[in-house]
Amino acid sequence: MKKIFARKYLGIPYAVFLLLFVVAPLIVLFYYAFTNSTGHFSAANLIGFFTDSNTIGTLFYSLMLALAVTVVCLVIAYPIAYVLAKSGFKAKAVVVMLFVMPMWINFTLRLTALKEILTAIEGNLAFHPFINSVIGMTYDFLPFMILPLYNAISKLDGNLLEAAKDLGAGDVQAFLKVTLPLSMPGIVSGVSMVFLPAMTNYVVLDMLYNSTYIMGSLIGSYFSAYDWHGGSMIALILLLIICVFTLISGSAEEDEGQKGVLL
Amino acid sequence: MMKKIKQVLALTVVTAVVLGAFISDSVTAFAMDGESTDQPIVLRVCNWEEYIDEGDWEDDEVIDLDSGDIFGENSLVEDFEDWYLETYGRKVEVEYSCFGTNEELYNMLTIGDEYDLVCPSDYMIMKLMSEDWLEPFSQNFFDEEDENNYYVKGVSPYIRDVFDENEINGESWSKYAAGYMWGVTGIIYNPDEVSREDASTWHIFDNEDVYRRITIKDNVRDSMFAAVGAVKSDKLTDPSFIADPDYRSLLMDEMNDVSEETVLAVQDYLQKAKNNLYSFETDSGKADMITGKVVANYQWSGDAVYAMDQAEEDDFYLEFAVPEESTNLWFDGWVMLKEGIGNDPAKKQAAEAFVNFLSMPENAVRNMYYIGYTSVISGGDDGRVYEYLEWNYAAEDDEEDVVDYPVGYFFSGDPEDEDYILMVPEEQTRRQLYAQYPTSDVIDRSAVMWYFDPDANARINRMWINVRCFNAKNIPVPVFVVVGALLAGILFIMIRTRLKNRDTGRQ
Repeated sequence: MKKIFARKYLGIPYAVFLLLFVVAPLIVLFYYAFTNSTGHFSAANLIGFFTDSNTIGTLFYSLMLALAVTVVCLVIAYPIAYVLAKSGFKAKAVVVMLFVMPMWINFTLRLTALKEILTAIEGNLAFHPFINSVIGMTYDFLPFMILPLYNAISKLDGNLLEAAKDLGAGDVQAFLKVTLPLSMPGIVSGVSMVFLPAMTNYVVLDMLYNSTYIMGSLIGSYFSAYDWHGGSMIALILLLIICVFTLISGSAEEDEGQKGVLL
Repeated sequence: MMKKIKQVLALTVVTAVVLGAFISDSVTAFAMDGESTDQPIVLRVCNWEEYIDEGDWEDDEVIDLDSGDIFGENSLVEDFEDWYLETYGRKVEVEYSCFGTNEELYNMLTIGDEYDLVCPSDYMIMKLMSEDWLEPFSQNFFDEEDENNYYVKGVSPYIRDVFDENEINGESWSKYAAGYMWGVTGIIYNPDEVSREDASTWHIFDNEDVYRRITIKDNVRDSMFAAVGAVKSDKLTDPSFIADPDYRSLLMDEMNDVSEETVLAVQDYLQKAKNNLYSFETDSGKADMITGKVVANYQWSGDAVYAMDQAEEDDFYLEFAVPEESTNLWFDGWVMLKEGIGNDPAKKQAAEAFVNFLSMPENAVRNMYYIGYTSVISGGDDGRVYEYLEWNYAAEDDEEDVVDYPVGYFFSGDPEDEDYILMVPEEQTRRQLYAQYPTSDVIDRSAVMWYFDPDANARINRMWINVRCFNAKNIPVPVFVVVGALLAGILFIMIRTRLKNRDTGRQ
């Protein structure tokens, strides 16, 4: 009896899927980004993006927003993750669950509620569009920051801290020299899980009435104006930014696993 | 070697079986497309979301006109299928789907989605016409003798004239398009906070009395129209301009002016107004108006009616004003697509029957009641649309402050027609009735917004992006430096972490 199907054939559906839904769209994206409306090769879209103060401004605004969201998330999430991981709290799992649970509720629903709360506090949402966007996105992305941090800190070996103290380090010094560097992989993966979506998630801005475009809405506006070429180019540039970011942070996450084994 | 061949063979067989199943399916479907009358005609309709009566009314929602009750039990689509079988003796199956914006519909068509009958707005109809997408209506559709031709028998003379007079490449709209709903644009406002006078100009968007409490539409065409009205306000309201014998066509030209100079002025205006706005909105404006977050809101007449109805349920009374400069007269109309209809006369006949079915006066009333927009149907000899208006708006016998409200321009083509003067409570001249059937002076200053050529389109789209984007020139240099340094710092830390981890990995 000879085997007709080897195990590797099970991979065929995935290969087909990847070809159809990843490779093919990318080719289309490239094609549109580097052609003009007559179908000829053109770098005008690329040059246009970097010479127009409006598109550059939008990129800048998105970066600034994403940066603010990431910093706020990190500042809020780190202490929470630290306390959670360090405390001998028996109901730890429950507390972690409390932070994860909001993710089960549809995020537009949560934003609608947030909108009403912010209106009650501020009176008029339109006075603080940037801050509102930061609050909305922080609310949305906070769990993505807490979980990797929690994982990284709880893996931390207590003996290392004891050793640091034996060798004369104070609490602050032990934190800075031991805890913080060892939780770096968690920070990196948390940052990349917050920073990248924050650059494009324009639904939050729309729902909280920030009328300024970010990268996501800019791409959308090109497509609704039938300018598929310009829109594709911006999408491509965004893709490249994300690529660079993931390449750097991705390998840090990879190593996180190895480290766990080592420790 | 043998093994490989067998594997390949096995795979081929499996693929062939699966593919075969598909192909035989479509072959039979294709064969059945032929002459056999037992098979239902499949009619693919694509309409705006929530833009048709879906039935399922509550019992107390019945519209009890003197000439009989009108009630939406089933959806109009189901009713059409029944009616078609009864009238023409053949089964029709409607595949009904929806689109969200005209641009979305156009993109759907360009990537190859096939429909037989779609319902875009005026300018998209013009675009589709000029790009040769559309199938003209048949001769029979315009035959008033045919008792089932409810559209030609029932369409308002006013709308018919507009569809006849407006042309694209020498062909009038009416050849390709049958109206569905129509209306104007204006400002819905809270009379406690905003005066009617302030709301009656497009300059409301830069009026500081409504600082950050007014919304504009989040699409370039509507905002452009309003901004042109504001920028040209002085000229448009000048009595000598209005008295000009060519006023109507001059007004159209002014409101459709997309010269570079005007687009720049519009950009300036919108950039200035942006700072005064609560938001750019597509759908949320109604809710924000009702909950009092904003005090004025740029709105299409049908949505204004909806918002006023909703607010009234909480005893909160909103009003509607149409700016003095001009207002955007808009239509949504049914058009048949060449690619969908193909050479299938049965399908074309069914598509036309669908339009006629929706144009039956009782169905027009059901739609108006259900979606709040105004049908283009006045009913012709059938008085039920006018009766519905009376049922809806006529003053009670004991009411004070009753005024005449002539709507003859719509029902008979004569603004002074004494048969079509409603007796309504005075406040209705500022509320739902005024939005649903504007007075004839509003109609006089209305302008259709054209579909623009690609150059002009590119210009106004550019303008729009400029308005909405954050301009890098507004950023002070120090901010640039700080943000750049922060980003570089983050990248540096990440790279360092990565390198460090590598080192530890090697140990």
